[in-house]
Amino acid sequence: MLGRGLKRKLSDYEENMAGLSSAFDSSRNLPYPLKRQLVLNMCLTKLQTYKMLVEPNLHRSVLIANTVRQIQEEMRQESSQQPINVCSGIAPNPHCYPGIDSSAISLHLPSGSSQQESNCCNSWSAEGPIENSLLMVSDDDMSSAISSILKDLDFMEDISPPTSLVPAGDDEPLKSPENTCLKLEDDRQDLKGAECVFGSFEISNSTSYLKDLAIDDIFEDIDTSMYDSDFCSPLLMAPRPPSAATEETLKTFPSCNSSSTNNIPICRTDLSELDHIMEILVGS
Amino acid sequence: MAGVAGGGGGGGGNDFQWCFSQVKGAIDEDVAEADIISTVEFNYSGDLLATGDKGGRVVIFQREQENKSRPHSRGEYNVYSTFQSHEPEFDYLKSLEIEEKINKIRWLPQQNAAHFLLSTNDKTIKLWKISERDKRAEGYNLKDEDGRLRDPFRITSLRVPILKPMDLMVEASPRRIFANAHTYHINSISVNSDHETYLSADDLRINLWHLEITDRSFNIVDIKPANMEELTEVITAAEFHPHHCNVFVYSSSKGTIRLCDMRSSALCDRHSKFFEEPEDPSSRSFFSEIISSISDVKFSHSGRYMMTRDYLSVKVWDLNMENRPVETYQVHEYLRSKLCSLYENDCIFDKFECCWNGSDR
Repeated sequence: MLGRGLKRKLSDYEENMAGLSSAFDSSRNLPYPLKRQLVLNMCLTKLQTYKMLVEPNLHRSVLIANTVRQIQEEMRQESSQQPINVCSGIAPNPHCYPGIDSSAISLHLPSGSSQQESNCCNSWSAEGPIENSLLMVSDDDMSSAISSILKDLDFMEDISPPTSLVPAGDDEPLKSPENTCLKLEDDRQDLKGAECVFGSFEISNSTSYLKDLAIDDIFEDIDTSMYDSDFCSPLLMAPRPPSAATEETLKTFPSCNSSSTNNIPICRTDLSELDHIMEILVGS
Repeated sequence: MAGVAGGGGGGGGNDFQWCFSQVKGAIDEDVAEADIISTVEFNYSGDLLATGDKGGRVVIFQREQENKSRPHSRGEYNVYSTFQSHEPEFDYLKSLEIEEKINKIRWLPQQNAAHFLLSTNDKTIKLWKISERDKRAEGYNLKDEDGRLRDPFRITSLRVPILKPMDLMVEASPRRIFANAHTYHINSISVNSDHETYLSADDLRINLWHLEITDRSFNIVDIKPANMEELTEVITAAEFHPHHCNVFVYSSSKGTIRLCDMRSSALCDRHSKFFEEPEDPSSRSFFSEIISSISDVKFSHSGRYMMTRDYLSVKVWDLNMENRPVETYQVHEYLRSKLCSLYENDCIFDKFECCWNGSDR
């Protein structure tokens, strides 16, 4: 982003041209999925940057969120067109059906996202390159990330919502972490199930698939202190590997801890971070 | 660019030649951020040009009288008045700073010797009166020439003050302040043809005001969903019809324009007409939606057409035909191949304005 008050000059423009995006623009040989991934990464980076601003631009956020949704939808359609195997190793759970069935399964996400986002569950056991599976997992993070960004915008901007909505609004932030945590956990279980079935694919040895996601890097440096007490955003925290020691200190999530015993990913990171903090304090 | 340029039309026929008529402002590379011009608007006669900048100031230029010895050259514009319209504010409730940058200026039709304009920043609209004073009264009974009050007991005779000419002084005074009606950032204002009301639009809502009443406004469009996560579209511009005071249009970030009639209902959430051009599948890209976002919409003076500006093109629509524009002009089509880079450096979000000339050509 250019500094404020600076005139844009031709030389700056040329500097900006050198880079991945210019490769995108100029190269016709770049494979489509790679182009798409590039755009998706840029979108997520922007959304992340905007989230850190005190007053994000609503117009831009909506445009970028729509672009992300569009790419997500495309990826889902692509993977649902691939041959689907039933995975017997997947732990049954009420929210996610390993599905051949491509018809809409209504999945109740408390954030109230649309039907199309609920269809992502159908593809969990889909056979496909492992990148797709990793991308599919990140789909949910993305949807939740978009939802949380838009909800935050609402909170920031509109201080006087209609009274009939206020009680519901208050409940949602508390409910969503619990259920999205559940969802993420289910996803991981699904993936592990997928792993055992599609063993012939080259899969990394890591126990947590989420560790390998590129979006990890994006989420690592977030300071979530602003959102701790109001909006529990475990979806930003969850992608972090439970065992990795991150540089940033974790703040506790009081509302999260009280709401559910299923927050296993959160508790794990909590403990490891506590250890880390203790280390620093003790100075060892 | 902290400068203003006027364009000149060339000879006859359909070919226009465009050139800079006049450039105002700093040529320096480094410009103070507060000097960056954020909006420009001619008044109805074209004699006055108002500019608003990021520092909350309004500068008005006036065209000099036509010189009889040079009948064909256009008059030059010189500074007529400068005033501070908006100051930065701090919203304590949300811990947000409200920028003083002037987003839009709209002139009111002139009804007497004074000029009126509306200027707005993100949250507050102000009505300014610009009046000239070129005479001064002299010979007051109760005041000395230097302004000191006289002792009433010393006055022995009365006289009538005489008006004497003085150097022209242009005064700007705020007459109305319309505040606290918008949660989101105001992007448009438009004066109605009835000369009594005007609308102001932010990202999700449009409000109708009466010019005399500052403590109340009517909400006429509200596209905020009950659940903010379902938000996919924002309002980008709005304008009243030049002749029908019940008709207005608003454009969206998805490249659609909705025409609404205020007679149909108090809350115009349902449009009377819906203008959208079907997407060309061959030019579809990841950025199709972003570049289709309309940044400005303007009615023609005749009221029969409207013009919209999106990132790469200008489209002219016939109000009677909703399914596609009648004319499309590619403004900088060469940028289409560079969309990704423009997205990366955020230039793809730049907003452009468009404008009809006086005779709708």
